[in-house]
Amino acid sequence: MLFNTIDFLIFFPIVIFCYFLTPNKYRWILLLAASYYFYMSWKIEYIFLIIFSTLIDYYSGLKMAKLPNKKDRKPYLIISLVTNLGLLFAFKYFNFASESITSIFSNFGISFEPPLMKALLPVGISFYTFQTLSYSIDVYLGKQQAEKHLGYFALYVSFFPQLVAGPIERFSRLTPQLKEKHYFSYNNLVNGLRLILYGLFIKMVIADNISAIVDKIYLTPQDYSSIDILIGIFLYSFQIYSDFYGYSLIAIGSALIMGIKLMNNFKTPYLARNISEFWQRWHISLSTWFRDYLYYPLGGNRVKIYRWALNIFIVFVISGIWHGANTTFIIWGTLFGLFYLLEKLFNSIFKIKQIDSHFSFKHILLSLKTFILISLIWVFFRSQSFAEALNIFSYIFDTSRDIKSSLNINIITVIFLILFIISDIAMYNSRFDKSISKLNSIYRWALYSILIFAIIAFAGVDNFAFIYFQF
Amino acid sequence: MSIITKIIIRIIYLIIFLVVSNYVYKVYFFEKDIQQYSDIINLVRKVPDNADIVYLGESSNTTVRGDDKDKRAISTIIADNFPKLKIYDITKPASHADVYKVLISHIPKTNKLKTLIVTLNLRSFNAQWIYSDLETAIQKSLVLLRPYPPLINRFMLSFKAYDIKTKKERERQFKHKWKHDKYNLPFKFDFDNLKDWEGYVWHKGVLNPDGTKNFELKNLTCHYIKAYAFQIDTLKSPRIKDFDQIVEIAKKRNWKLVFNLMAENTQRAKELLGNDILYFLEYNRKLLIDYYQRKGVTVVDNLNSVENEQFIDQDWTTEHYAEKGRQTIATNVTDTLMKILNPKK
Repeated sequence: MLFNTIDFLIFFPIVIFCYFLTPNKYRWILLLAASYYFYMSWKIEYIFLIIFSTLIDYYSGLKMAKLPNKKDRKPYLIISLVTNLGLLFAFKYFNFASESITSIFSNFGISFEPPLMKALLPVGISFYTFQTLSYSIDVYLGKQQAEKHLGYFALYVSFFPQLVAGPIERFSRLTPQLKEKHYFSYNNLVNGLRLILYGLFIKMVIADNISAIVDKIYLTPQDYSSIDILIGIFLYSFQIYSDFYGYSLIAIGSALIMGIKLMNNFKTPYLARNISEFWQRWHISLSTWFRDYLYYPLGGNRVKIYRWALNIFIVFVISGIWHGANTTFIIWGTLFGLFYLLEKLFNSIFKIKQIDSHFSFKHILLSLKTFILISLIWVFFRSQSFAEALNIFSYIFDTSRDIKSSLNINIITVIFLILFIISDIAMYNSRFDKSISKLNSIYRWALYSILIFAIIAFAGVDNFAFIYFQF
Repeated sequence: MSIITKIIIRIIYLIIFLVVSNYVYKVYFFEKDIQQYSDIINLVRKVPDNADIVYLGESSNTTVRGDDKDKRAISTIIADNFPKLKIYDITKPASHADVYKVLISHIPKTNKLKTLIVTLNLRSFNAQWIYSDLETAIQKSLVLLRPYPPLINRFMLSFKAYDIKTKKERERQFKHKWKHDKYNLPFKFDFDNLKDWEGYVWHKGVLNPDGTKNFELKNLTCHYIKAYAFQIDTLKSPRIKDFDQIVEIAKKRNWKLVFNLMAENTQRAKELLGNDILYFLEYNRKLLIDYYQRKGVTVVDNLNSVENEQFIDQDWTTEHYAEKGRQTIATNVTDTLMKILNPKK
């Protein structure tokens, strides 16, 4: 069930209505049933994976909680890690590994074809796997007490607003909110609806309309001029941003109506002045996960400089692998790691300090530089293969081609994209619900009207699945 | 201001907003969307107000064989047989009763149409066609043509309020039907359902005269089973529901309604699968004719009227006929129309 479908528009109000009618003691049952229903709407069978993963982590957690020292707890952590990462590997990386082995052997003239897995990738498996892993690791480290109530634990794993594409929440942050008694709040309702409205707008009007253009360019780049391809590359940056940010806002807004505050996943990332800042503003729940559960355990920056550089590199490469089983994602992560380190090196050699004044000329220039760099790296993320990405770059620089611009961009899409960029700048370090509350009610309602009309009348209808659902 | 007043003001605003938005959308954006997503409507728009007869068909109407001397469509041959009548066709390849139903509901009330001929394709009742992966695109193209205000239709298109399913999901649907639609036969038959029959043939294979396995022929035989070895259930078939609605619309509009049951390659079916498959074809033919005649529809029965040689696609099941086949069907329709239009003769 996608957020941008009539199914969700029917499902969600029913859940909310029942939620506030249900006594707090039993709300977990309602939310768990709703979450499982929500997930089963993709494929019924995959619910067993979540249940299996939930049970393993629940019992591992309970066992670990009873043991006083880390050494004794370790086997249960390993069970949790092996189960979760095993499932992730089986569904997400097995075929990639098989095909890679086949390819390596064929390079030596040996015909060896390991079997391939025919099952579809379960929606959101990377997200809920990481969410449960964080719980197991925290319990192992003694940072988190084990949850004794299986129902609440299952709900933590599967809470429907953030189940399939995050934000990846920590147990210590989400579960107390799930247990807390929430009364109906008009403010939460209004702010939640504002976020849902804006989220739907940027997903359906911006991302879905842009995707139609970007898809065509990536499908047959040879038919487009260099400028068209460059425009397509930059448009993809906005597509993926508005697609994922839109999803996150709808998730946050949906939870907020129930009184549950999910973490912000984006903070105007394209206004970042460098790669490091970009990752503090983009997919924050994932980057903080990697920081806490990979970067810090590797030693973080409290190690020798070459080891620190290696740590950074490892985190980015694994982040790439997390996104998908394809060399393009590995290259994408590697490039981010490389540019991150180069920027740090450059800054330390030339002793460049962080600029604090927002929207100064320097800030704008640096943001522009970062945006261009990130857009070029996104090419690997968007391409189906390394060869396709190289193809895209080669067509940009191929001056021998005499192709005139054939991009057909709807003027309405352009207008809304410009408005989106302006509003993103205006909401620097803020969020739509907070920013809009400062407006006079007439302007506010005028804006609501425009957004609603745009969603209904101008939503893209050809490509509507959320990009991050595939992860 | 009390909360009740606030809510009332918002509701009033919302109503005004929706009415104005609908007007703005209808005047400035609707037609562009229609041309982008539902241009199928243009087929109806080209039918003039003074049409006497409209022929609704799919590719069977217009497909010709390369060596045909007479390349006229079935509807054109019929029109040529009635030079005094204004006969037009609405031909949309791969369409079916659900599409026809929407299209005829858009024929303007001002149109003086008297008779409607609708293609009745027996094969379109099979599960694989009903749950075809083309269906998502077809359903999407019909959303803006629903009988609601334009803004509501666009809302439904934007929020995907139509039957969206992936190819895999559709496959699951028709495979489920193949397995669970049990045969109800007056004689002893070795198989309970389509899946069992097709599975048996698939595993047993089809042999050449020299005893070697003939994969192509096996494939074709299995395909004939999938295409014809089913029994229409008038209570459950979504196709029947669509044709029923066509009957209702025709009654309301006072149109004479003719269902043109298309010819299937029964000769080839018998060659491949014997009398068993013919039983299913005959069963469904009789059922459709009886069912719709009881509803006052004239049904032209072409099922067995085209010879194997006249079927263009010899390696698949289609209703694509060479010139003689098209002429035969057009003649059958013409004869029926003569009786309807001149009942005293």
